[in-house]
Amino acid sequence: MLRYVVRRVLWGIALLFMVSAVIFLIFYAFPSGDPAASRAGRLATPEEIDRIRETLGLDEPIYTQYWIYMKDLVLHFDFGYSYESNAPVRELIFDRLPATISLVCGAVVLWLLAAIPVGIISAVRQRSPFDRATMVTTLVLYSAPVFWLGLVLLYLFADDIGVFPIFPGQGAYTPISSGVGHWASALVLPWIVLAAASAAIYARYLRSSLIDVMGEDYIRTARAKGLGERRVIMRHGVRSAITPIVTLLGVDIGLLLAGNAILTESVFNIPGVGRLIFTSIERSDLPVVQGVVLFGAFFIITLSIVVDIAYAYLDPRVRYA
Amino acid sequence: MRRMPLKAVLPALLILVTLGLAACGDDNGDGGGGGTTASDFPPPTAPPDDAQKGGTLTVVNAADVDYIDPGAGYYQPTYMIDFATQRTIVGWPPDANKDPVPDLADGEPTISDDFKTITFKIKKGIKYSPPVDREIKAADFKYAIERGMLPGVATSYHSPYLGDLVGYDQAVAAVGKDSTVAPNISGITTPDDQTLVLKLTKPTATVAVQALSLPLGAPVPEEYAKPFDAESPSAYSEHVVGTGPYMIENDDQGNVTGYSPGKEIILVRNPNWDPSTDYRPAYVDRIDFKEGFTDVNSATRKILTGDSQVNGDILPEPQGLKLAATQYPDQLSLVDSGGNRYISLNTQIPPFDDINVRKAVIASADREALRLARGGELVGPIATHFIPPNIPGFEEAGGDKGPDLDFIANPKGDPELAAEYMRKAGFASGKYEGDDPILVIGENAGVDKQVSSVVGDIFTKLGFKVNLREVSSDTAYTKFCGVPKSNYNACATTGWLKDFNDPQSILDVPFNGASIVPTNNSNWPLLDVPAINKALDKAKLVSEPQARAEAWGKVDDEIMAQAPAIPYIWDQQPAVSSANVDVVINLFNATPDLSFTSIKK
Repeated sequence: MLRYVVRRVLWGIALLFMVSAVIFLIFYAFPSGDPAASRAGRLATPEEIDRIRETLGLDEPIYTQYWIYMKDLVLHFDFGYSYESNAPVRELIFDRLPATISLVCGAVVLWLLAAIPVGIISAVRQRSPFDRATMVTTLVLYSAPVFWLGLVLLYLFADDIGVFPIFPGQGAYTPISSGVGHWASALVLPWIVLAAASAAIYARYLRSSLIDVMGEDYIRTARAKGLGERRVIMRHGVRSAITPIVTLLGVDIGLLLAGNAILTESVFNIPGVGRLIFTSIERSDLPVVQGVVLFGAFFIITLSIVVDIAYAYLDPRVRYA
Repeated sequence: MRRMPLKAVLPALLILVTLGLAACGDDNGDGGGGGTTASDFPPPTAPPDDAQKGGTLTVVNAADVDYIDPGAGYYQPTYMIDFATQRTIVGWPPDANKDPVPDLADGEPTISDDFKTITFKIKKGIKYSPPVDREIKAADFKYAIERGMLPGVATSYHSPYLGDLVGYDQAVAAVGKDSTVAPNISGITTPDDQTLVLKLTKPTATVAVQALSLPLGAPVPEEYAKPFDAESPSAYSEHVVGTGPYMIENDDQGNVTGYSPGKEIILVRNPNWDPSTDYRPAYVDRIDFKEGFTDVNSATRKILTGDSQVNGDILPEPQGLKLAATQYPDQLSLVDSGGNRYISLNTQIPPFDDINVRKAVIASADREALRLARGGELVGPIATHFIPPNIPGFEEAGGDKGPDLDFIANPKGDPELAAEYMRKAGFASGKYEGDDPILVIGENAGVDKQVSSVVGDIFTKLGFKVNLREVSSDTAYTKFCGVPKSNYNACATTGWLKDFNDPQSILDVPFNGASIVPTNNSNWPLLDVPAINKALDKAKLVSEPQARAEAWGKVDDEIMAQAPAIPYIWDQQPAVSSANVDVVINLFNATPDLSFTSIKK
């Protein structure tokens, strides 16, 4: 087990290097803005732009720029400085992470609380009115674009622009340190929006997986042994059916922490990592994009490892060499 | 197949209908404005007599400012902050829209008869915000101008307007050798602490004075800023001080604590500001620049229905503009921004190297459709030339009617005239007959995307095969339209905003052949006509106001006769505010003036 974990961690580190190299190449090979020209403004002369380019280190060959970047990163945990704001990228990311973590954690809890019971009940009561109603609802939620659903909820329930002013609206997010009540109330709508599509997917996924599992021989055996139906479902059925969900959950959380909550953050003006990377891509702010992507890759790789380890506990058939 | 029971479908349908109705709102799709005109929403330029002190004003923004450092800032929203935190040697009270008035200068500057020497007297008793706390002196203005040449500061408008200072070339060379120390510009001298003298090699004092009304004209204490300026980029923005009624919140050591990039900027009162020395009343106690409101329509609604809010960089789009104009007319104002919008035609490569083809394109363009894509009548009058209203030279260039040129006469487009010009260009059918598609650079977001699409249609109707490349705004300028060798044929979303109220700041860079550069080029039509270049250079040296207006008006006519671009709007910039805000608009910056705006009690 230990050898497996060490091997995965080493692969993870190698993967991070590869991701960083790919991002550098993407910015180098494909058209994006010129940070030096953007910074210089529209009246600047080519000489002034060249001086700025030199100042930012952009006159060096791409491999030299990459080498300098990685050296600072590995030796000093220094992600460089934003071309736009001159702020250290590490500070920018750490400044934004709490908001994203707040958003993601709440949404994950919400979608699991909704998806697991719905998935299980729908599976064990196939074709019942409940099953049909929830499956149609999940289809609707899955199909609703995040930005549309977000705006609709704002126009309905936000306390500034909503028809029924119940919850705080855009830009209301405050850190948890300024009060749990306000923190939570400001996140209710974003949590619902972010959780909606995932809850729908997870419910349908769990339903399908559990229907398959409930047809397995060992379930019939468990019933034949005289176990109660609830115990058969929860101990033998769900435990096995939920393993693919755990895999999905690990990747989803990683992606959301990496900035995939970008639309929810944008609609509700939550100053998280997603909004940071969006703005940075728009402005060709390479150091920030690079930093966020590396952080994202780190989350995804770490959570993948955690999920793999969790497998061993969830599914007795899984053993690691 | 079994039918789905209605009782299962009904809840989902109800949800869909409810959400759909809510999302549709009250937009009836007839474009912004509902038929009202800009003159129905005049900008208030003075506070009410009973304006109250106190409260917190929130400025709602989509994006961050460009730079906190006054030497680097160049965005309108940045100027909103700069004008509240930095007093410049001459400045712009809300109702001033012609010439700047003395601010830190003790009276009007003295300009020599040959327009080559400017002498400012500096007010006494003006102190910097903490932690500097000392009085300003003339040398601080000299340092502010000189540090603007450092690549770590890089004032965008430095060389175009101050490049005639005596010793400028030597200063450029000095920066080339050492980019960590501000160079000496020998043409700026300070005989004493209250006197600042600028000597120029050409009679360009008028423009130099206007340039110093921008944030570069704010003093910077050398002994405090120098160590920060030695870094590249300069770290002064993290420790900035000023002389305005407000300052960006900082700690005892001067570290800026009120700036979170992309999140917010907090302005608090400057304890060292003395109202008796300033024309700003500074009503509110605190200003909170909230950023990240990327959905313009919901942000507009938030401002209109909320409390104590004004717009920053958020400019209501058609839906929001209509909402404001029809339901909250008292909370909307429209102001001439001093900007224009045009579609640039690359005059150096086929097919638009042929003036008749360019005239045909302009003649065929439905400029009303272009304006409608931006929001209709409320966003501004249809342009017939380049100098916008309220800028000297506008009337001399033909005013609203424009020059006497047939191809710009019909705002709806004139297909027959366009065909005639195409035939003159050798296309017997009256339409373009070439096989190669033209490369049109457009933008991929917001209103600019809609405009790009309309622009594509204009070319298509005239027979062109169009390769419309829609990219981000940044990419459009720094990779395509700003790079002549990218061989674009047209740029769909170009436009120019005045730097100050002088026609030179509108026409010189965008149409002077001498300003064409390999990167960061802003002469997007790549217009390089010797007679026009000469006329531009000559007009720059005209100092007497009326003669200057006439000279630039004539240049505008000559440029338009070359048909380098399709001008279609002189921008009116909307400002929206909450019902409890007595907003005051700064005509120069075309935005709410934070030092004059107040909150009703």
